[in-house]
Amino acid sequence: MRKSIKTTAVMALAASMTVGMMTGCGDSSSVADKNITVVSREDGSGTRSAFAELMGIMVDEVDKKITTAELTNSTSVMTTSVEGNDAAIGYVSLGSLSDTVKAVSVDGVEPTVENIKAGKYKVSRPFNIATKDDLSEIASDFVDFLLSDEGQKIITDEGYISTESGTSYTATKLSGTVTLAGSTSVAPVMEVLAEEYMSLNPDITVEIQQSGSSAGMTSTIQGACDIGMASRDVKESEMAEGLTQTTIAMDGIAVIINKDNEVKDLTSEQIMKIYLGEITKWSDVTKK
Amino acid sequence: MNKLKEKIMQVVFAMCACASILSVALICLFMLTGGVPAMLEIGIGNFLGGTSWKPLEGLFGILPMIIGSVYVTAGALIIGVPIGLLCAVFLARFCPKKAYKVIKPAVELLAGIPSIVYGFFGLVVIVPFLRDTIGAGKSVLAASIILGIMVLPTIISVSESAIRAVPDSYYEGALALGATKERSIFRAVLPAARSGIMAGVVLGIGRVIGETMAVVMVAGNQAIIPGGITEGVRTLTANVVLEMAYAEGRHQEALIATAVVLFVFILMINLCFSLIKRKGGDK
Repeated sequence: MRKSIKTTAVMALAASMTVGMMTGCGDSSSVADKNITVVSREDGSGTRSAFAELMGIMVDEVDKKITTAELTNSTSVMTTSVEGNDAAIGYVSLGSLSDTVKAVSVDGVEPTVENIKAGKYKVSRPFNIATKDDLSEIASDFVDFLLSDEGQKIITDEGYISTESGTSYTATKLSGTVTLAGSTSVAPVMEVLAEEYMSLNPDITVEIQQSGSSAGMTSTIQGACDIGMASRDVKESEMAEGLTQTTIAMDGIAVIINKDNEVKDLTSEQIMKIYLGEITKWSDVTKK
Repeated sequence: MNKLKEKIMQVVFAMCACASILSVALICLFMLTGGVPAMLEIGIGNFLGGTSWKPLEGLFGILPMIIGSVYVTAGALIIGVPIGLLCAVFLARFCPKKAYKVIKPAVELLAGIPSIVYGFFGLVVIVPFLRDTIGAGKSVLAASIILGIMVLPTIISVSESAIRAVPDSYYEGALALGATKERSIFRAVLPAARSGIMAGVVLGIGRVIGETMAVVMVAGNQAIIPGGITEGVRTLTANVVLEMAYAEGRHQEALIATAVVLFVFILMINLCFSLIKRKGGDK
């Protein structure tokens, strides 16, 4: 009897010690001496390709990012990884930025909605739609909705940055189908917009196909869908095929680091070099 | 009337039995038609033996992921098997009744924890702990520790019942020959329970190699062959789940082909399991 109590007590003690050891504070050696832990997104991610393109990591359409970067396939794991590692650097869409990590200024510009609207913050990308001239009546009504106050409010609510607007939308009596195809980054917010639009216009169905920006542009040119979605600018070659670009929203990409890291500002060149593996220590960033 | 009822129920039971067979058959069919053509087009040698995985540049070599899966599985077994086995011996032979009432449900609870919870635990506890102590972070080691814990319930329950199934005469015989309690257990009882314990380990391997969510969160997922246990690793399962959402065309087919490779691994493990069980039954 007594033996069993003793055994249980010893085990409980051992268990609590293990937990204590694991959660115990780490040593507070300076971040500057540490190797940078580079965290990136998986191949094919829209955020990753936009980031790579804007930061000059993409060379000749090939992503040159160092192969030793940690990869994750979700924004939340990205944030948690950076939150728990004082030497980490990562990036998330501005709409998903949480206050458990620190967003650095890029080239001295803070990642704020105002700076992105003013075109000062470099790491931002447009959410575009592309249309042809012979747009159907329903499709053009949907575009009107996207650009109206009602549509732009949804965009802001979803964490993206609205473009200027000022028109208000009134439902039409039309019925039919609008088909959209393209970027997987634009699609989530477009789904929300489409839902709202369909509740205003019960006789209209909006179909959204996620196929990637380029495939969306091709479908629009070929007439397989009414509206194409792109998380980049419409290329000149695509414009030549008869596409017109309309920006419905902007999305910023915030470069995030741990809160204990003293770095506040990085130049885009430094970020590029970190992701290319040319800068490997935080001390190389802090000393000028 | 009764006969008709009998017949109808027979059909119902037969259909239920067929449902599981049908699912397995359909999954096999889907995997083979989806994955094998891509594997052949890429070239089986290039696919299984290639060390570069750069889907956007058309390089589909999954050797780093195969090796990654093997490393992580081996690591999990190194951590999980000794702990699990000794725990099973303790539960079956040494444990006081009162402690058993606490430990046994705890082990069973361990089996019921969703893998995403293990992954999150690894991400916020194990990974920072490893980083502060040995500077490893997301690594083979972190994944092995998490999987080593996850595999414990399987190994413990199967081994425990195997040990309990050994006739008491073995144990008593060893004691009668003058062996100590410990010696009797480790030299007489454990060898007799060997095939059952092996079956538990093989089942554990199956669980480890197929585990996805927990691994993705703690392994780092770099598609390179790890140079040591403190480096990041990507397993076959992680490869599929990481990129499936965005993949299209050949890239998607290559991911299905990755799943085919995983599927073959699991088949081989199940085959081993049946063989071990049959061998154990022969005695």
